[in-house]
Amino acid sequence: MGGLQKKKYESGSVTNYVSRNKARKKLSLSLADFRRLCILKGIYPHEPKHKKKVNKGSTAPRTFYLLKDIRFLLHEPIVGKFREYKIFVRKLRKAYGKAEWSGVQRMKENKPAYKLDHIIKERYPTFIDAVRDVDDALSMSFLFSTFARTGKCHVQTIQLCRRLSVEWMNYIIASRSLRKVFLSIKGIYYQAEVLGQTITWIIPYQFAHDHPTDVDYRVMATFTELYTTLLGFVNFRLYQTLNLVYPPKLDGQGEFSLKSECEEDYALESESYSEKLSALSASLARTVPLVEDEEAELDLFPAEGVSDRQLSYIRMCCTLCRCFGGQVSWDKSLCIGSTYDETDETITHHIVDRPTIDKQYINRYYIQPQWVYDCVNGKILLPVEEYFLGVTLPPHLSPFVEESEGDYVPPEKLKLQALQRGEKPQAEDDDEEEEEDDDDDDEDDQSEDEDEANLAEMEEKRAQGKSLSVKVTPGKVKPENRMRAEQEEKAEEKRLAIMMMKKKEKYLYDKIMFGKKRHVREANKLAAKRKAHDDSNKADKKKKKKKC
Amino acid sequence: MTNNKATHERHKRVAAAQPGFLPVKSSLDGNSSVIKPRKRVNKNKKKSWNKFSDIQDVEEFLDDVRLQERATGGLISEKTDDSLFFVDTGETDEKDTQAQTTVKKGKHSKPLRIDLILQPDSHIPAPKNILAFQQPNAKKQRRISENAAKLAAKGVLPRREKLLQLRRAAAASGVSVKEHPVANNNPDRAFYDLWSAGTPETADPYYLEQTKKKLVKRPDRLNEKPSVLPAIEVIAPGGSYNPDFFSHQDLLREAHEVEVKKQKAEEKLARQLAVNEDKATEESTFKEQVEGLIEEEEIEPKEPEGDTEDTVIGPTATQEKKTEKQRKKEKAKRIKDLQRKAERQVIDKQQQLFQLRSIHTSLKKQEQRTKMRQAQRKAQQEAQKSMPRRLSRLKFQTPDLDVQLSDELASSLRSLKPEGSILKDRFKSLQKRNIIEPRERARFKRKYKLKYSEKRAFREIE
Repeated sequence: MGGLQKKKYESGSVTNYVSRNKARKKLSLSLADFRRLCILKGIYPHEPKHKKKVNKGSTAPRTFYLLKDIRFLLHEPIVGKFREYKIFVRKLRKAYGKAEWSGVQRMKENKPAYKLDHIIKERYPTFIDAVRDVDDALSMSFLFSTFARTGKCHVQTIQLCRRLSVEWMNYIIASRSLRKVFLSIKGIYYQAEVLGQTITWIIPYQFAHDHPTDVDYRVMATFTELYTTLLGFVNFRLYQTLNLVYPPKLDGQGEFSLKSECEEDYALESESYSEKLSALSASLARTVPLVEDEEAELDLFPAEGVSDRQLSYIRMCCTLCRCFGGQVSWDKSLCIGSTYDETDETITHHIVDRPTIDKQYINRYYIQPQWVYDCVNGKILLPVEEYFLGVTLPPHLSPFVEESEGDYVPPEKLKLQALQRGEKPQAEDDDEEEEEDDDDDDEDDQSEDEDEANLAEMEEKRAQGKSLSVKVTPGKVKPENRMRAEQEEKAEEKRLAIMMMKKKEKYLYDKIMFGKKRHVREANKLAAKRKAHDDSNKADKKKKKKKC
Repeated sequence: MTNNKATHERHKRVAAAQPGFLPVKSSLDGNSSVIKPRKRVNKNKKKSWNKFSDIQDVEEFLDDVRLQERATGGLISEKTDDSLFFVDTGETDEKDTQAQTTVKKGKHSKPLRIDLILQPDSHIPAPKNILAFQQPNAKKQRRISENAAKLAAKGVLPRREKLLQLRRAAAASGVSVKEHPVANNNPDRAFYDLWSAGTPETADPYYLEQTKKKLVKRPDRLNEKPSVLPAIEVIAPGGSYNPDFFSHQDLLREAHEVEVKKQKAEEKLARQLAVNEDKATEESTFKEQVEGLIEEEEIEPKEPEGDTEDTVIGPTATQEKKTEKQRKKEKAKRIKDLQRKAERQVIDKQQQLFQLRSIHTSLKKQEQRTKMRQAQRKAQQEAQKSMPRRLSRLKFQTPDLDVQLSDELASSLRSLKPEGSILKDRFKSLQKRNIIEPRERARFKRKYKLKYSEKRAFREIE
């Protein structure tokens, strides 16, 4: 009866999982190829619930894949391409070794290549699925486009990433779908709403270049391969929805104005077109011509700068402004694609990053770049006074934070909300505030004094026995506020109910209310702290003023 | 003239040998009549050409000719008068007008005289620089090109030419050449509408499956995301480049707590590993006790305190068989015990009626405990969903918080120094979402240990 006995680890969850090396051998691929395949196809390792069972009694940590997933991988046509490539490399190396140069050339021309289109179609069967997953793709694409073209990773990949990111930004501008921007120390977070989906992505600052050594570049390159393909198809479809030509072309009317003389200083002729496109300053050509609306609210003009940083800022500012209907240009000396000159009269706002600027035109506002971002987040044009040159900027708040009831809300946000509701902005200058405070105090004192004075008078009169000049006058009908009455009634009822509760229930109720009010109490505490901080600041400023 | 002295001597001899030659130093004693007879030499041999013939005048003439050709551009006797001389007729106005007209003509005026003078007009061309014309392997290359020409005449062409001809023919006839597959990361690759409806498959699905024209359907389980975390996690509001005071403090506090935890772990480890030499061990206590008792020279055998007799510890009675009495007694005892227990049980059951309240409370407590544990387990399970799973030998290391200290905060966007790298952030995010497993760099492991041996020469030095 030996053979009919059930042996351990032959059935159950063990049969569902397979270790990584076994999976690799089943597919007869090298480890690097196996990892690449898993990344491209979207096959992830799983952690089994009962590791000891699956690992056949040992608890050594191993990577497990589902057996069905690996069986599914066997049907993939790219696996054949990987194997072909391996053989190609072997043959090429032999030809090099034997110095058969014609053979080498022939083989190089017939290098095996694969396409990922069918994988994208399989993983994202509908367009909306693809749009949902495009955050990761965007971040990776933007990241790779900031890499230096040294050859560590394929230069072609970097170029493709750049092209795709520029196309995406152009789409966002054309569709006006940008909602939130956040400048953080890590990078810039953007959020846009595309076809009903909220998409968040991050762009690194272009001047942050430290390549960490503990990142696996091959893995990242494989992800980029997949994501660039996805992003390309998504871009195509998005451009289709807006009736724009893909690959994007600049609008015919604008092209003449873009031809500047200093084109050749910046880029080769072949690249100058793509540079102009990436300048994001011109509108794109459409398949169906649009009637131009008179929408341009503001014209912005970022000021001169010298370094590469400025270029990236300008691009960012440009996208933001054009997203909301403005027109942007910049100094000719920086980059091609500037639509109008610095001395143009119709410029309303001039963005400057330096502390001072030489020439100042009267009919423009000179502001710091944070104004643009705060306007975008607040969805209104904020008052420009706080953002003038040399002024300490208000803090840049994160639009991604949503405060629930009772949480601490920074006063800047409160002000913003007030502005959004249309209330008049309160004067921000310290002097004015101080004056106001003083006025208030004086007024209060005055009113108090008046009351006291009145009372004193009345007392005197009574003492003197004179009849008070108080008369009985017909009463005035106070219009009854129905809403207020209802609210009062409800409050009364609540109070009665609370009084009628039993001791136990009352105890519970008190506990709950205590917990609820904790939030409010903390918020009040923070607000008080902030007030104290501000007051101390004001006091310092006052002292400084008095000294000077 | 290379051997000036030798030739000079030769000339003197030859001249002296001519008839009618009057030497300068004539002998004063009037021996002039004694003239030595001229020696007959054979001028047909090469040996005697140099010795006995004088070609000085010819040589001089030829040198002169060569000089003229070299320096003055041909024999002066053959030159025209105009090139050598001009008639100086004094200053005239004509020349001035001529000069002016030449100036007025503009670009096509005559070249300057000084340039003409300085032109090289020698009839002797400069010698060819042979090194400049030398080609290494010239013979070999010539041979190769001749062979190639021969093959081309026969019709055998190298690969490049063949392809070029093919392409030309294809372009002429309008047929498209077989195109190589475009690589996936080519920056100019074209995209198309992937999600367009397209033509539905008309063939039999089974046929398509079997012939691998239709791809295998992707299982639905693979469309689920491996983690509930979002792809991009926005940094806390304290991470803004110009943050609000309180949010920045919150972020700093979080970072501080992480550091405190790390420090505590280190301290704990240090504490566990610390060896305290001040603590008393058995050895040291014994030594203290025994100090002064043992003299150093006479080391007596230590006598432990206590009895030296062998005392028997515990009963070691020889077992005898149990008697009937003992057995009966034991049985009776057992029965009594059982009865007592049964009675006790009955009483207990009755008394439980009065213990209802305490029983109730204990039950309640137990229920509460189980409920709490259930809730805790559920909460843990929910938390596990957002935690990264253990997928490989290495555990997931949470990345450091990106935070800038209060004095590092930038005053303007221009002076901002970015913190952290997005590449690392993305990599960690992929690991956190269970898409890839955490791995470390593969190290080079040697299969066999390295053996070092000295070279013979060095061994001999010693």
